[in-house]
Amino acid sequence: MTQWKKTDIEQAMDCPMTRRRFMKWMTAAGVTAAMPCGFLVPGKAEAGIVYEGGYETFRNACPRNCYDTCGVVTYVKDGVIKFVEGAPESTFTRGGLCVKGNAYLRKQYSPDRIKYPMVQQGRGSGNWKRISWDEALTRISEKFIEMNEKDGSMLGLAMTKYSGNFGITNYGVEGMFSSLGYTTRMVGTPCWPAGIDAQNYDMGNMWCNDPEDMVKARYVILWGVNPAWCSVHTMKYIYEARQRGAKIVCIDPVLTQTAAKADEYWQINTSEDGALALGMARHILDKGLVDQDWVTQNAVGFDEFAGYLRSEVTVEWASKKSGIPAERITRVAEEFAAADPATIWIGYGMQRHVNGGASVRSIDALVAMTGNVGKPGGGARYGHLQTWGFNYHAMVQQPPEGAKGYLGPAAKGEFDFTEDSKGPAYANRTLNINKTARELLDATDPPVRALWVSCKNPLSQDFDRNLLIEAFKKMEMVVVVDQFFNQTVEQADIVLPVTTLFEEWTVNASYWHYWLSINEQAVKPLYEAKSNIEIAAALSKKMNELKPGSCTFPADIDTKEWMAKEFNKGVYDLFGIDSWEALKNGPKKARTNRLAWGDGKFGTPSGKYEFKSELCAEHGFNALPEYVASRKPYDKLRLLTPHTKFGLHSQFINLDWMEDFNPRPYVYIHPDTARARSIADGDRVRVKNKTGEVLITASLTDNVPPDAIMMYEAWFKNNPYNCQNLVDDTSADMGAYKAGAPGVAIHDQFADLVKA
Amino acid sequence: MNSYEMPLVLFTVLGQSAIGLVAVSAFRQVAGPDAEPGRIRLEWLAAGLVLVAGLIASVFHLGHPAGMVRALSNLGTAWLSREALTIGIFLVLLAAGLILMREKTSPMLAVATAAAGLLVIVTMGMTYSPPSFPAINNALPFVFFCLTALLLGSSAGQVFAVKASQPMLTRILTVTLVVALVIYLLVPCIWLSGGEIMKQTAGQWLASPLYWGRIVIGLVLPLALVKRLKGTPAWLWVLILAGELMGRAVFFAGTVHTAANMGGMY
Amino acid sequence: MKKQLGFLVDADRCIGCFTCAMACKNQYHQENGVIWRQVYPLKEEIYPHKERAFYSLACNHCENPACMNVCPVKAYYKRDEDGLVIHEQDKCIGCGNCIRSCPYGAPQYNPVLKKAEKCSFCHQRIDEGLTPMCVLSCPVDAIGVIDLSTLDTTGLVQYAPGFSRQPVLNPSVRFRLPRLPEVVRRKNI
Repeated sequence: MTQWKKTDIEQAMDCPMTRRRFMKWMTAAGVTAAMPCGFLVPGKAEAGIVYEGGYETFRNACPRNCYDTCGVVTYVKDGVIKFVEGAPESTFTRGGLCVKGNAYLRKQYSPDRIKYPMVQQGRGSGNWKRISWDEALTRISEKFIEMNEKDGSMLGLAMTKYSGNFGITNYGVEGMFSSLGYTTRMVGTPCWPAGIDAQNYDMGNMWCNDPEDMVKARYVILWGVNPAWCSVHTMKYIYEARQRGAKIVCIDPVLTQTAAKADEYWQINTSEDGALALGMARHILDKGLVDQDWVTQNAVGFDEFAGYLRSEVTVEWASKKSGIPAERITRVAEEFAAADPATIWIGYGMQRHVNGGASVRSIDALVAMTGNVGKPGGGARYGHLQTWGFNYHAMVQQPPEGAKGYLGPAAKGEFDFTEDSKGPAYANRTLNINKTARELLDATDPPVRALWVSCKNPLSQDFDRNLLIEAFKKMEMVVVVDQFFNQTVEQADIVLPVTTLFEEWTVNASYWHYWLSINEQAVKPLYEAKSNIEIAAALSKKMNELKPGSCTFPADIDTKEWMAKEFNKGVYDLFGIDSWEALKNGPKKARTNRLAWGDGKFGTPSGKYEFKSELCAEHGFNALPEYVASRKPYDKLRLLTPHTKFGLHSQFINLDWMEDFNPRPYVYIHPDTARARSIADGDRVRVKNKTGEVLITASLTDNVPPDAIMMYEAWFKNNPYNCQNLVDDTSADMGAYKAGAPGVAIHDQFADLVKA
Repeated sequence: MNSYEMPLVLFTVLGQSAIGLVAVSAFRQVAGPDAEPGRIRLEWLAAGLVLVAGLIASVFHLGHPAGMVRALSNLGTAWLSREALTIGIFLVLLAAGLILMREKTSPMLAVATAAAGLLVIVTMGMTYSPPSFPAINNALPFVFFCLTALLLGSSAGQVFAVKASQPMLTRILTVTLVVALVIYLLVPCIWLSGGEIMKQTAGQWLASPLYWGRIVIGLVLPLALVKRLKGTPAWLWVLILAGELMGRAVFFAGTVHTAANMGGMY
Repeated sequence: MKKQLGFLVDADRCIGCFTCAMACKNQYHQENGVIWRQVYPLKEEIYPHKERAFYSLACNHCENPACMNVCPVKAYYKRDEDGLVIHEQDKCIGCGNCIRSCPYGAPQYNPVLKKAEKCSFCHQRIDEGLTPMCVLSCPVDAIGVIDLSTLDTTGLVQYAPGFSRQPVLNPSVRFRLPRLPEVVRRKNI
């Protein structure tokens, strides 16, 4: 494997007399000066393309919505970032980033970057005019004040925000909104809520082991997850596990890059993951391979689950539903049950279905009944929020005196760790972020008048795009905080330039690994960019100038102080540091909490693993992890729109550096499917369904099954391509419990295509 | 499709034309009755101007033409340096001829200059046949360049030759046209049975309108005209030059580089 | 044998993530279209799953480099101490001969500087005891620095399918070939 890396690389580097040392010696001897024609001076290196040394370094952290949340080391010279590397101190990042992280320079210094506040005269017209911050904030404040007067509350102001920047101080956007009064919040997450709820019903929390302990696994099932693209830093642990003798099985509707690296790949019928897991469970039960001791000590409801399996589930049925041959199901089930420890990594794509939460519960059950929960190297891995115990100082702000709001229950997002406020019954009005278009159009009393967008790109990411365009038309004002003129900014009235990670102070944790990183301000913000909390402070100042007392957000802030204010004793203890300054020497790892459920004390009402969850039943689902049918197709072919390695949602793909490697989008079609439609490789095709249509180039491959087509979610520069034209906003089953709203059945979409 | 490399197209075609003029005129001086100094001088002057025009064109190919003088630095391994050297020698001999051939021609000098010209074509042939172009990593470029020299030398040479020499020149032209036609039609077909890159090269050549343009305008049409007119019109070289320019363009643009197939079977 | 540094391309570990390619851009900021390290997908005739196996290739620092041999102004030299092939861009006149002559497409034309340029093996970093950027950045150790004079070649090949065989040049790269997963497809779809 990597034997060569240790010995060969050291040998390769070890040169007894480097040219540099030789030169030093010669210079010391005064010899070089005497030589004619600079005879011994080494050939001059390439003009302008060198590694020079002598840089100033800063610590940053990639704040994108990614498992890996890399520690970054930023090399600066003369106030300009020259290049970046991964933090070597983090064993997870281990010195390297990814194709996106390595393109950060181009994001920072892209000529396309928004430099100033701008106002668009006519949404979608591209008629942008530069205005000053003062003017921008004045226009915005005047609108807010007008709305408050008209409606008697700030409920007409809505915020949509999610994962564009996970630096903790960016929760200052929520804070800004709180400081303006009671407002409308798009709550929920399109990402992972069904699985979060499922894990909460089963175990009482979403909590995975330290991914670095995967090396200890003897069996790894990668279920609907594609780490070779979406968590490249975890691949090395999977490889190491295999090196130590583990078997790697990959289950995915598509032959992904991860599938190509697995030992065995199963091309499952999309969304029948629950059936497959239950089939495996039935077989394990039949063969007497259940870890009865563990189940007896740590779980409730197993007998009922066993009863369900015996009466409703057979391997043949699972085989028919999932498309996986019965003898494969039985063999892998036995191998999985016999391996100690065994683990399953449940991907977020896997639960983006109408039965997503139910499927996750079935897979959890598989891990639990074989006694693999609470073991190093084991577990049903999904995510965790153990390292997110910050103060959320930026987020927690008070409404102005006399503010009126919504009189009803408010939902909370999964990253909202704030305590429910005690006090008057007023609250924010919460709308389902996964149905933004519908909610914006339907909201009344008061209607949503103004929309503030930050850390999100709804017109690139959200569903039922055509309806969302209608919703935008309804808005009286749209303010977008962003770096590029993306599809949401195109429909904005005002755009405010925001800082990159290199230009702000913040702190970052991961929902997968257990490292904590500081994010220093490495360079001054370019042009007139401001961070989200700086924008909040400036807005507050202007609001109070025009109407004293209308905004409680502090008008003068020190962003470095605000970063420091996020830390508390809990964080310090968990990471074994005295102060955030310790992070200047590199990311630090949590010392505890890295073995999920190691003590067997589950967070469920019973304190045990709940095969049978009353709470789940109360919330309208099955108490047991029973099979739930998939969505019936509404068109000929399943449409999958997963993530590409070249971008993170709508970020990075628009950069010219990235275009060198990823110049255009494709729709991936099985050759049989294409042939039936007279489509050849490279043809332009029109993909259509009831929601909309997309014009795109075809790439033929049997990586996709004959009954599905696939295109990647992306925003290409100067390209109207958007797969969301084809995705409706049908909900996933779970998500409302812990994430504020059900998820979205993103991969339960269907379409057909013709040659264009 | 690579770039057309127009500066190199002009440089090679014009350079080879100049060499061809000199070579054919040397042949006339040695083998035939055509040894009138005045016309030979004019021919050599024309050759010199054509070569210089080609050299000027080649300058446009360089990113930094000022460094051109250093191009002789790697005679040890670089055929491009050797090409520069042989061109220099040829130019010197050409200049010597222009000066010396006032009263009478010097067949020995003519042959020496022609030989120098042949050496230029050899070095050019080697320069333009690197291993990165499998279809032409052989003597083919040398052959193509010889054909260019002979075609232009014998057709443009008509302008300067005395009437008595013209049948001989026509014979040289006819034979060369036939040989060129055979070679240019045959070679892509042979490539079609070669390795992947050769096959792709054949595909690009055969699909190129310029390739067929050269065949028709530069070879077939001249051949037909010569047969019809039972002699070479003084303006025929225009067609042939057009053909050679088209053909050279295909040579640069349509010859596939190995790097184009990385990741595929060779 | 003299010390000869080169790249190890472990196509078995490689996940085609392009981190290496972008790490190089991150360090040297090449012009758009000028790519020193490219990640080539293996065509289906070699690896049956489209775009699922790759060779990450830059300059192969050959024993007998085409670029150095054909350069008319001697703008290339091969380092004595480790065999790296270095381009001195100051001397380059932009004639394009190296660009045309390298079978691997390593030297490329910089349209702004109007000169050739190519992977330098990060030799300035090597001289400071650091690793090349691509090697440092790879998340799965799929690229490495090797010394051919001491390399254990077990399981490695010089001419992997899809890589042009040029024994005269003798490229200093070595490959580990990618393995195939066992694929279980649904029947009768």
